[in-house]
Amino acid sequence: MVNGLTIVDGGIIGTYLLITMVIGIAIRKYVGRVEDFLVARRQMDVYLGIASLAATEFGIVTCMYTAQNGYDKGFAGAIPGLLTFVAMFLVGWTGFCVKPLRDSGVMTIPELFEKTYGPHVRWAAGVVIVLGGLLNMGVFLRVGGEFLIHTCGMDPGNLEIMMTTMLVGVAVYTILGGMLSVLVTDFLQFIVMSAGLIVITFLILDKIGWSGLVSTVEKYHGEGGFNPFKNPSIGWSYVIFNALLNTAAVLTWQTQIARVLAAKDSQTGRKVYTRTSFFFVARFLIPGIWGIAALATIGWVPLKTLSARQLTTIPPAIQQKIEASRLGKVFAGTEQEYAKLSADDQARTLSPAETAQIPKEVVARLKEASLHHMPLFLSMFVPAGLMGLLIAAMLAADMSTDSSYMLTWGAVIYNDIMAPFRRTKWSEKKGLRWNRTIVAIIGVFLLIYGLWYKLEGDLWTYLGITGTIYLSSMSVLLIACCYWKHANNWGAFAAIFFGATVPVSTLILQKLGPQAWKEWFTGNVPLCGIITYAIVALAMLVGSLLKPRSQPAVEGK
Amino acid sequence: MATILNGVMTMLTDHWFWGAVTLACLTWYSTITIYVAIKGARDIQNMLRRFSDSQEQETHGLKS
Repeated sequence: MVNGLTIVDGGIIGTYLLITMVIGIAIRKYVGRVEDFLVARRQMDVYLGIASLAATEFGIVTCMYTAQNGYDKGFAGAIPGLLTFVAMFLVGWTGFCVKPLRDSGVMTIPELFEKTYGPHVRWAAGVVIVLGGLLNMGVFLRVGGEFLIHTCGMDPGNLEIMMTTMLVGVAVYTILGGMLSVLVTDFLQFIVMSAGLIVITFLILDKIGWSGLVSTVEKYHGEGGFNPFKNPSIGWSYVIFNALLNTAAVLTWQTQIARVLAAKDSQTGRKVYTRTSFFFVARFLIPGIWGIAALATIGWVPLKTLSARQLTTIPPAIQQKIEASRLGKVFAGTEQEYAKLSADDQARTLSPAETAQIPKEVVARLKEASLHHMPLFLSMFVPAGLMGLLIAAMLAADMSTDSSYMLTWGAVIYNDIMAPFRRTKWSEKKGLRWNRTIVAIIGVFLLIYGLWYKLEGDLWTYLGITGTIYLSSMSVLLIACCYWKHANNWGAFAAIFFGATVPVSTLILQKLGPQAWKEWFTGNVPLCGIITYAIVALAMLVGSLLKPRSQPAVEGK
Repeated sequence: MATILNGVMTMLTDHWFWGAVTLACLTWYSTITIYVAIKGARDIQNMLRRFSDSQEQETHGLKS
């Protein structure tokens, strides 16, 4: 038995990795054109599409954050999954945007934009999509690695080596086989991942029981753990913002829409959406149950999420206070906030002065302690033998996500950002070489940005901002492009401009504004998100209507 | 069997909404995995056959 894994576990993991690599690499012989590489020559059928979409949209990072939602918010934390299900089902059923998009025969969304808004908007949209997507993806490797380290009980020093090896393996088959390899390996990964998720969830229901999970949610979250509108950390604005966010993601998130674009026809693409939609409930609820199970079994133990070295940096008196803290409330934000607390709460919360005695790295770790409770729980709960299946399932989840993300964002770089450099037609061989090089460069970026380089500062806020910039502007551009005949490049540029400036201004006001503004903007993040979508839509409307009709079309309409 | 039925009944009575959604997820996921595994394998077979056929046609086209 090595690092909590038995020979049987190692055998399961090794067999899975070997089969994936062999199949992924063997597929390369079918790739002869750029279209094969980027969209599998649009030969994807319904069931392969379902497997591929489900596998891509579930990575370790998804599992970690949806489990954290269950841990922090109870069952109500699965609300984004229900909203995505409704959005994806309706989009697939009606063909809203996805039908005209697939029927147009484009390989990426910005390519469609060129037909309505002109080449400059296509290029700008490509940049926004790639920046938003790659910055988002940059954290996948580290979070995935931390899950595996916690669950297997490995030495944290091995994280970089382990994740680099995994990424190199994924990159090899993605570079050689493109979308074809991604689809076929996704299929295998979907089966392994699903088996792991189902078995572990049944094990939890058997050992802890439904009543155990329900009583834990009642104890820690009260009615708000079941009803999102009665949960202080959710509420109406969170639900509406997530409805907008998830609808925008269904319409424009590159990895999701790539399945529609690779489908045989728009009917197949729509079927893939309607039939995969319920998976998104499972995507939130199953790891959410794992998070609740962690709360039921180990409770709130923030100090256990630290390494032995990190623990020694905290003075004993402060350690006692952290141990006594309430769920997710180790720190008071400001001196004023600390002063407002009751005497009992002050004894359980660190004041800013006490926080200053702890290294920043440890403070950051404690702030996201609820994230690490689920892997900690699994390491104690899952028996030997099943651990191999769990690790193989999580590796499958991560590999399918990484391969697809590298390929689909590479597609936008080649097809749209590099479009001005391809005015004369490139040979298929040259196009393939460039695509493979781009995927390799994205792989190197992921290693440096996401793994070997430790980003300082508020990474999650940064990612939230880049995600909103992408989804708000691209969804508005796509809807207007498909259904509003007056949409033009003035409106498109206005939407991209406000889609970028509103979230960035919100961030600045959160950090640098007067105290009252800081508190309002920090406490109303979902409302700020809703306002961003409204302003971007208004910008498209006003910008398009302002463009004089008589002006000769220099570009676009 | 009785234990499983008891468990299902508990899920449908104790906070029935989330119990029903969880049951639906587990049922859907368990069945769809097997269904997609069978149908998806056929999709891959057909897709690769179409690729092979078109590659052969392209090779013949070049030779002629």
